[in-house]
Amino acid sequence: MVKANPRFAPLPFIYTPHPVIGLSPEALDKYIVGNDPATGRPVIEEIIDVLTKPSTGKAAPPPAAAPAPAAAPPPAELAPDTEDNLQRLFYEKGWTDGLPVILPTEERVRAMLAGTSAPPDEVVAEMFSFATGEVLKYTVEHVAVIAVMAGARPEYFPVILATAATRQPSLMPSTTAFEAMLLVNGPIRNEIEMNCGIGAFSAVNMANSVIGRAWTLMSICHGFAKPRNTLWSSQGNNHTYNNMCAGENEERSVWEPFHTGKGFKADESVVSIFRGWAFLNSYGAASKRSLIEELSIQLAAMPPMNSSATIIMDPLVARNLKENEGYQTKADFCRAMSQNVKMPAGVYWNTDHIDMLAASEAYKGVEPYASWKKLPDDALIAPYYNPDNINIIVIGGETSPLWKAADYGYSGSASVDKWRALASDDECADGSCGLPDDVTDADYD
Amino acid sequence: MAYEIRLSVMSPEVGVSRAKGGPPPGMGGPPPGMPEPKPAPGGVKRPQTLENKTVYLVDTGFGGSYNFMLQLQKWFKEHMPSVTTVRKRKPGNVFMDDNNSLWEEIKEKGNAVVLGVAG
Repeated sequence: MVKANPRFAPLPFIYTPHPVIGLSPEALDKYIVGNDPATGRPVIEEIIDVLTKPSTGKAAPPPAAAPAPAAAPPPAELAPDTEDNLQRLFYEKGWTDGLPVILPTEERVRAMLAGTSAPPDEVVAEMFSFATGEVLKYTVEHVAVIAVMAGARPEYFPVILATAATRQPSLMPSTTAFEAMLLVNGPIRNEIEMNCGIGAFSAVNMANSVIGRAWTLMSICHGFAKPRNTLWSSQGNNHTYNNMCAGENEERSVWEPFHTGKGFKADESVVSIFRGWAFLNSYGAASKRSLIEELSIQLAAMPPMNSSATIIMDPLVARNLKENEGYQTKADFCRAMSQNVKMPAGVYWNTDHIDMLAASEAYKGVEPYASWKKLPDDALIAPYYNPDNINIIVIGGETSPLWKAADYGYSGSASVDKWRALASDDECADGSCGLPDDVTDADYD
Repeated sequence: MAYEIRLSVMSPEVGVSRAKGGPPPGMGGPPPGMPEPKPAPGGVKRPQTLENKTVYLVDTGFGGSYNFMLQLQKWFKEHMPSVTTVRKRKPGNVFMDDNNSLWEEIKEKGNAVVLGVAG
């Protein structure tokens, strides 16, 4: 990444072995006197050389490599082969999440394209590739190939296109275990039979499974899962198999759906994306304490970035919060959470990712970070200071009043409707679409 | 039965058209509204030796860099005691905020700088 970015070209770079974080002083000493894995020279010698030898203002040339043969243009087609051989090829090429894919034959891709009125060559989005340092431009047809591979039905395709249009990968090139969530709101949830109720996050529903899978397949095929290039996550994260894709249970929620809180109309279909690191399932219902007490205890264990949290609650929880604890709206509840969750300042600042990403705001004088930085370690702060950054989503089947709490931040939403297949009013006015034509004499010729 | 895969698979290797360009806002480039930083000037004059010079060790804020710079400072103290080392935390965000006063301080008081570490 650094080597590929011209912004850094004039800076000489020296590499140590990886990782640096979490190592003992003795191990770091060995890194300093040990060899740079990129050059084989001792790191400290390189540091002294770089600081004392004349600079050319240019990056050091990369190690000499054998001249590459002229690259042949990529094939537009794969040679016909057996299913077993092609599945093996897809696996070897890294065009899979490790599970078998549905092979994207021309016929299947054409059928997928019928799920949208957008032309196949329309550019859905452009995305920066960390693997190559280039911008990848992908079309409706490219996304259709992925949708087929994931096992999607054509009626899911508008949701997958909307997800692609966000320009966000499901995978992040980080050593951490980033995870993402894909939420669907609006009428399309029911039209494609998404699960918003019992077992919405279980591996049982085709639309939830396949749409979420398509997002990760897209990211993988974009080059976001190349080990030690773009895939560095030390442990990985199996939430990325389908990115917790589910629909909000709008019909059973006592509060407004998520997308209307973001300015969309209730009858619009929308995908929304959330991303973070920490995720906690509730152990059980909160019958000994109030729900807000229980949730506050849990969020107090998750130092947030930018006051962000996402709470995914069963409709029963939302109803209890409204009817028994008095929070008439999501905003009422978020305000109360914002004031209720407390954490010692020392716990907050001594959390590595907070120190890395929020301490700079304190040094720049940004409030409340600047004031928090001056506090003694045992002083209590309200780290979820901005209730607007607490996301409330209602999903579940009302078999138990449970919830999931995460540090996810909201990353944005995209309209599904612009990608829908437009109905032909002329042909379908009588409801005959999809029915066979009447039998005529010509059928017997 | 042979399957014919007529369409390119969406992949950097095949199928997706590619263009040269930088990362989109928020993904490695400067923050929205901020200009790209000027490239460092070429031919920067450097000391011939670090003896009796001041070296700034700037911790970017990335996890692990504080401890790394501590050990690097210890190495200089033990092996090149005439070198004065000054440890500093880079002001601003670890990924952004290149326009800060620390660079001015280093230009005025320092002879060299080590900036790191990501890891």
